[in-house]
Amino acid sequence: MRQAGTYSGILSGGISGKTGPHLLPLARIKKIMKKSGEAVKMISGESPIVFSKACELFIKELTQRSWMVTMQSKRRTLNKEDVASAVMATDLFDFLVNLVSESPLEMDTSKYS
Amino acid sequence: MEDETSHENVTQGHNKGSPDSPCAKTGGTGNNKEQDRFLPIANVGRIMKKVIPSNGKISKDSKETVQECVSEFISFVTGEASDKCQREKRKTINGDDIIWAITTLGFEEYVGPLKLYLSKYREIEGEKLNIPKQQRSEQKQQHQLQQQSKHEQNIPNFNSSVYSSTSLLSRHSSFVPSDQPFSLPFSPNNIQKQLQQQQDQIDSVGYW
Repeated sequence: MRQAGTYSGILSGGISGKTGPHLLPLARIKKIMKKSGEAVKMISGESPIVFSKACELFIKELTQRSWMVTMQSKRRTLNKEDVASAVMATDLFDFLVNLVSESPLEMDTSKYS
Repeated sequence: MEDETSHENVTQGHNKGSPDSPCAKTGGTGNNKEQDRFLPIANVGRIMKKVIPSNGKISKDSKETVQECVSEFISFVTGEASDKCQREKRKTINGDDIIWAITTLGFEEYVGPLKLYLSKYREIEGEKLNIPKQQRSEQKQQHQLQQQSKHEQNIPNFNSSVYSSTSLLSRHSSFVPSDQPFSLPFSPNNIQKQLQQQQDQIDSVGYW
């Protein structure tokens, strides 16, 4: 039990200065990693930690790009279409193209129903 | 009026997103709880807020979209890293594999901060590996001593936790970490269990 406290101390930023606070739950990251494929069986302890930082950087980049679209439209609320536009406009986010273009199709269908 | 239903549609989008995921290796289809597939929306939203002006707002559906994108990102990178491990006949995906995959997939600019992050983490965890097994049994006893101080301090200080024996001895001079664990108030079995849990949680720290 104490080890759990130690480990989750990382989550709440308990370790001062050494690794910095983790903004994302490591256990959840690990779950998502395992779901990515049958071959993913053993994951080192440091992998979710690396991902925690990588996901943070990813979210920040995606959000920044999306916000630029928001500003171009002279709005102050970032919405889903802005995210979709940012994905379309960025080669790096090619793997997300299908993901962001699915939902609008759903929306359109329901609009006409 | 139709626009107001967009929230519901996005929720449906969540459920239907997974089988059509471009990452073909995704095994789960309908039996996954939504929460398990994504990182918590509160955490995601918090990070998003950091990079927009303070008077900017973020719609719920955009947070949900970013949630999905992050999970996709994790799957994408993990898939690459996993392939690499298979090619090299290794069973465990480690931090270097993740970094390699991230570089390969085009996210090179993340690599600098990530390597720094990882090296700091290894610096902490690496201390555990430098200790031979013999000393570990002593440290099991010392560890439960440390638990008392941790309760007070509430700081999981890795660098001085279990493995700096001198600080512990000076603090709890009445306890002698001898070969007789039964003289101590805490049962050694608990300690072993806890250490085992720690190893399970950290999921093979020894796999370096």
